[in-house]
Amino acid sequence: METVFISELRLLFDAIAGEMTLYVPKKSGEYYSFTEYDPSEETETEFNNIRVSSPAKEFLFPMVELAAAFPETSSEQEIRPFGVFGLKNCDLRSIKILDRVFKEEEFLDPSYVAHRENMFIISADCYDPAETCFCNLFEGQPFAEEGFDLNLSKVKEGFIVEAGSEKGNKFIQEHKQLFGDVPSGAMAECDENRKRAREQLDEINAEYMLDTPIKEIVENSYDSEVFDIEAKDCVECQACTRVCPTCHCFYLYDTKQKDYFGKMKMWDSCMRCDYATVAGGENPRKILGDRSRHRLMHKFVYFLERYGIEMCVGCGRCIEGCAGGSEVRQLLKKLNEELKGKKEAKAAR
Amino acid sequence: MSENPYQPINAEIVDIIDESPTIKTFVIVPENEFKFETGQFVELTLPGEGEAPFTPSSSPKQTDRMDISIMKAGRITGMLHECQKGQKVGVRGPYGNGYPIDEFIGKEVYIVGGGVGLAPIRSLFLTLIDRIKDFKSVVCRFGARTPEDLIYKETLFGEWQRIDGVDVKLTVDSVGNGWSGNVGVVTTIIKADDVNVKNAVVVICGPPIMMKFATKQVLEYGFRPQDIYLSMEKNMSCGIGKCGHCMIGKYYVCKDGPVFTYEQIRQYPNIWD
Repeated sequence: METVFISELRLLFDAIAGEMTLYVPKKSGEYYSFTEYDPSEETETEFNNIRVSSPAKEFLFPMVELAAAFPETSSEQEIRPFGVFGLKNCDLRSIKILDRVFKEEEFLDPSYVAHRENMFIISADCYDPAETCFCNLFEGQPFAEEGFDLNLSKVKEGFIVEAGSEKGNKFIQEHKQLFGDVPSGAMAECDENRKRAREQLDEINAEYMLDTPIKEIVENSYDSEVFDIEAKDCVECQACTRVCPTCHCFYLYDTKQKDYFGKMKMWDSCMRCDYATVAGGENPRKILGDRSRHRLMHKFVYFLERYGIEMCVGCGRCIEGCAGGSEVRQLLKKLNEELKGKKEAKAAR
Repeated sequence: MSENPYQPINAEIVDIIDESPTIKTFVIVPENEFKFETGQFVELTLPGEGEAPFTPSSSPKQTDRMDISIMKAGRITGMLHECQKGQKVGVRGPYGNGYPIDEFIGKEVYIVGGGVGLAPIRSLFLTLIDRIKDFKSVVCRFGARTPEDLIYKETLFGEWQRIDGVDVKLTVDSVGNGWSGNVGVVTTIIKADDVNVKNAVVVICGPPIMMKFATKQVLEYGFRPQDIYLSMEKNMSCGIGKCGHCMIGKYYVCKDGPVFTYEQIRQYPNIWD
């Protein structure tokens, strides 16, 4: 795989945008969001130091989409190649999790697969992890390790561009004129940056380090009152599940269009009151605390048992987005302490 | 199955049978041959309105049409009850697992059903009696709220009772006119000596409260949790283990069920809620 150097982001953006729609980060206030890159405009090219506020899933699994239609022919929609710059390692890991559900299962989701195959991923290292970042609690690093087509590492003189797939390699080979050799010392600088970001993450999360595997903590906390206590601050806005890059619940509903009937697929949330209600009105999770517990159980126990991987990447978006100030790290810490207390009490008896 | 798992195939309602004041059986003819295993479910779409999960009540041998017995319980089922013959519908599936019939060979099959739970049981029953000699016996204990609420009355009181190797007992919660049978919930006709527990499997399908108490009772009779087969009802939507609505613990009822052994799901609290 190729590793090359580019002096300016704009050169790369223009080349990609010449071939496909490119989405890039744009800072608004203190947060980043994605916007379509327009080569004709002299817009500033941003290198986001941390992940964008919206999750990568929106590129693969749109918030609302047509899943099926009758007559059948009206549901055909072509997905064209598109690129996304500025995804971080947590985003790449979230895509890996979604792939397990929609792309590597017995049943494939055709829309997800089509979006995934057409997505050109240009990831980038993290330089300044936020207070909400906790990927290190899930064996994550603040730089990409796999799952990208191209990855950018910022150094003083420009950007190291590494290919991570055949697609990425081909892009570099086809645009040789844009790139140069990696200057001497740039690699060492990159390693130093990565090390520093990792240290910063460790520092941020020092108080949240857990001495028990998360699965064990959550699994043994089914009867904990902590869920109900935490739920008192929840306003049921469902932001935690919307901004979560791994949450993938959806809701199917039918619509009448002018010349066809559409079956729509829309993001749903297990935090929604009637999420699990069956015909006749029975609801297995009427209480908010029960829904909050289910969300955690799914992320840290059920998904792990099923796919061998946790359904959390530690991106911290749920913390950033929570109107009630809930903190998943705090919650896990509380559950851990409660569990330890129980164990000690048992040992004392 | 269509390559798009969300794409229903076109079908038409060709007949509607009134089974009880709240339950109708819809005979559906899909555009293409439709195969399923007894116990699997389908998603039935009323175009432009919505879809809901149902387990066909007909024999899987019939692949050109299927019977779906539907209780009026919510928005979609209410609308389906208003439909007439000729109504175009969509059907997708089949989804999930069926009853593991081959594991029942040589055993007594003890079937406990209640209310609209008789719908999947009818399909199972028709499958079993087709090869009745493979099983030691088929022992059925069915209940309904009132005699009017019992579905499949014609066959239930008639030909099903006369099949060699089949034993059917019925009960109603509260008596109505002309009922001379047992009065009481279904657990009042589940007796310890109905079958030889050591060589029997039990299949339970009905409202959650009935399944809860029937399971408790057969456990007391000595049935092993792995020999108790439960048809679980949750909010199945996508049918392919993705949308998340029907989870019981790590299981997706739509994909890993709807038939579970009690052994599989007993570890999870509140399975009957």
